[in-house]
Amino acid sequence: MNGPGERAATALTAPFLLFLGLAVPAALLAAGTGSPGSWHDLLASPATLRAIRHTLIAGGASALLATLLGGAFALLAGLTDLPRRGALSFLFLLLMIIPAQISVIAWIALTGPASPVLAPIGLAPRPGAPLPLYGPGGIIFLMGVEHAPIVFLILTAFLRAIPAELLEAAAAAGAGPWRSLWRILAPLSLPALLAALSGAFAAAIGNFATPALLGIPGRYLMLTTLIFQLLSGFGPDELGTVTLLSLLLGLLSLAAVAAERLLATPTALAPGRPARPFTLGAWRFPAETLCWLTLAILLFLPLAALLATAATRAYGQHFGFATASLAHFSAVLISEPATRRAFLNSTLLAAVTAVLLVLLSAAAAHRAEAGSRIAKLSLAVAEIPYVLPGTALGIGCILLFLRPILGFSLYDTLAILLVAYLMRFTALARRPVQALLKTLDPAIEESAASLGAPLHTRLARIALPALAPGLAAGALLVFLAAFSELTVSALLWSQGNETVGVMIFNLEQAGEFSAAAALSILAVAVTLLLLAAAALASRGRTILPWQV
Amino acid sequence: MKRALSALSLVLLALLCTAAAPAPDAASDTPSDMPSGHLVLYTSQPDRIAAGTVAAFRAADPAVTVTVFRSGTTQVMNKLAAEFLAGHPQPDVLLIADAMSMQRLKEQGRLAPDPGVDLSAFPPALYDPDRTWFGTKLITTGIVYNTKAPFIPRSWSDLLRPAAKGEVVLPSPLYSGAALISAGAFARYAPLGPDYLSRLADAGAVSVAGNGGVLTQVAGGEKMFGLLVDFMALNAKKEGSPVGFVFPAEGVPAVTEPVAMLKTAKNPVAARAFIAFLLSVRGQELAVSQGFLPARSGIAPPPGFPPMSEIHLLPMDIPWILAHSRALEENFSNAFGG
Repeated sequence: MNGPGERAATALTAPFLLFLGLAVPAALLAAGTGSPGSWHDLLASPATLRAIRHTLIAGGASALLATLLGGAFALLAGLTDLPRRGALSFLFLLLMIIPAQISVIAWIALTGPASPVLAPIGLAPRPGAPLPLYGPGGIIFLMGVEHAPIVFLILTAFLRAIPAELLEAAAAAGAGPWRSLWRILAPLSLPALLAALSGAFAAAIGNFATPALLGIPGRYLMLTTLIFQLLSGFGPDELGTVTLLSLLLGLLSLAAVAAERLLATPTALAPGRPARPFTLGAWRFPAETLCWLTLAILLFLPLAALLATAATRAYGQHFGFATASLAHFSAVLISEPATRRAFLNSTLLAAVTAVLLVLLSAAAAHRAEAGSRIAKLSLAVAEIPYVLPGTALGIGCILLFLRPILGFSLYDTLAILLVAYLMRFTALARRPVQALLKTLDPAIEESAASLGAPLHTRLARIALPALAPGLAAGALLVFLAAFSELTVSALLWSQGNETVGVMIFNLEQAGEFSAAAALSILAVAVTLLLLAAAALASRGRTILPWQV
Repeated sequence: MKRALSALSLVLLALLCTAAAPAPDAASDTPSDMPSGHLVLYTSQPDRIAAGTVAAFRAADPAVTVTVFRSGTTQVMNKLAAEFLAGHPQPDVLLIADAMSMQRLKEQGRLAPDPGVDLSAFPPALYDPDRTWFGTKLITTGIVYNTKAPFIPRSWSDLLRPAAKGEVVLPSPLYSGAALISAGAFARYAPLGPDYLSRLADAGAVSVAGNGGVLTQVAGGEKMFGLLVDFMALNAKKEGSPVGFVFPAEGVPAVTEPVAMLKTAKNPVAARAFIAFLLSVRGQELAVSQGFLPARSGIAPPPGFPPMSEIHLLPMDIPWILAHSRALEENFSNAFGG
């Protein structure tokens, strides 16, 4: 199939994606012309090599952990008769919405000497003892938890596409549940699993807040923290070094995508009823309990610690009747008009970014799966800005958009944030859709085409209904990530164009951690409302990940 | 599909355009003695304090409107560096935490001198002799302790006592200019010995990226002692956090939150008025009301601080620290492991 519709789709999406992926690296390269000698020194320096090694180890291990955790939840919620799986899925997604610089501090407080949980049972470390979270173990653990929803969203969207008929046939042929899992589901899910793994890996190597908060005291430097160290020196000669290290991160992510593509062979599946093949039987209760327990430890505990911090008058006091106070909530919500503006701005930016990116990457992925090389290339390239350090992406956007273009200046407007978010999050939008596309049998579209159905009819009648869960998952991923985006926004926001992430960061930096915690709690509440609205708007269908 | 995609690109274009404001005009370069027009300020002051500063300045010079960009020092300086690269720096004035960043900008030829400022009431260590940047306050670094601490330290060397082993946290000079100035001041202060920070590291001290992290660790009881800027500790204490603060006997390093005008300022008249306001008695009283030690002599410190006569500053040679920043950072990195 390579009709005019297809060519137009490629012609429209590919340049746009190439721009999103390459504009900033090109601008950085053009600006930061370091001498080859200094680049050689940099790559040979033990600090750089150590940072690369740490990035690969912590990134790889945390991606495995995220895949294990997110995969187990996706399997239980997507394929079994687990009770209350809708609520569990919904809550699992919330792991993504507390900004990392806040949730990590909540975790430190939870496991520290003054821990409200460990201290009463005598398990808290004594003051001054090194905390277990500082160092590689803590970084891997918390990044694994933070990125597990990425894996979960990609896999649940994919599992929807597995037709019940296939597994029923296997059962009829005498295959037990474990056999169908290993012989049918596992090989079928490999592309989606690899997409999830590479997604979690990209998220981990680009993560800054977690390595900064745990790795600096823990003496475990990663590439993102090393780059931030160089940026804190902000000499004019540093930009070349920063660019080189940033592009190194970009190369690592490209390698992950290449591995994902090499190892994943698409398997066409005929459309059918959604499968829910496994009955837990006697395991229903233990499985559900285990899920709730996991969520209690990973989500409720830090949230409760955060809530207690936000509702205590001063940081470090114990929460109780004497110290309880709503002052931090009223300070951020009532006496600070910028907060309401920030919530509006972030909601608008995240929603527009999500919708545009999902449409764009779905169109490009559709072409890529049909064999278009340029579409494949443009999708891979659009991956780079996701792992660039946010500050480097911000600097690139300033270089690109500071001067007016055609009489309009994007600088100091919401539009520059929108462009930066579009660049940053294409990688998230593409994965769930592409994982599903791999299962679409091209024969169906080909036969429709041979009957004269033009591209838009085929998309509307065949591709879109099959892809809806992937589109929804991609949009959710982008929305949740963009809603509390921090590192890029910290450079590009302007008066009147505040975002939630920037407001939280500014408070935390000023030493007002309690107010930052209050704002984070409000951000969680607003996200919950928005997700509830999305659920209401699509009720009666099974599109959103928790509609199971 | 084609139609859908064209529509998509149109929507995108429309969004970009509607959100985009017209380019800022070339500003009010008509020379005039009365400050007026628009002033762009880049600052690392916390939101609320920056808002108070702007409001007080506008009460003094109502004809000037002010736009503020605020972020961490690193972010502000990175944004500015990118704007220099793109050849279009936006701000008229800068008000940022430490003199190191200002000294760097001065050495790059980015700052305009302001010879007209009356500096008779300011100690010479607090401003550039070439009058490009001027310290507006004193933000000293002392010792914050948790109220459960085994002892209350009185001097820097107390942190080396066995009872403080593994109990000290400090901001890293690899990420914070203010911490680099402290490291430089310690290195130059002979009685402490040149390797004070390394000895702290040997005793199990850890570093974090910024002052905020020091406060949460000490207030949260994770560490008993920390090196912290005065106002953060005293504000937390005032609100009820279980912390205390001492100005060690040997003296304290300080950053001065200097203000400076860029050579490329579009509104130099208003920029000079802003600098003059911050250094005036009124501007200094504003700093005191915001909880900072004044830079100008003859003004009383805020409540909770000892009298100015009891606060001794360690000598701080900003050009020397800047020239030796790489060695200071390397020593620190070797001792604290990055």
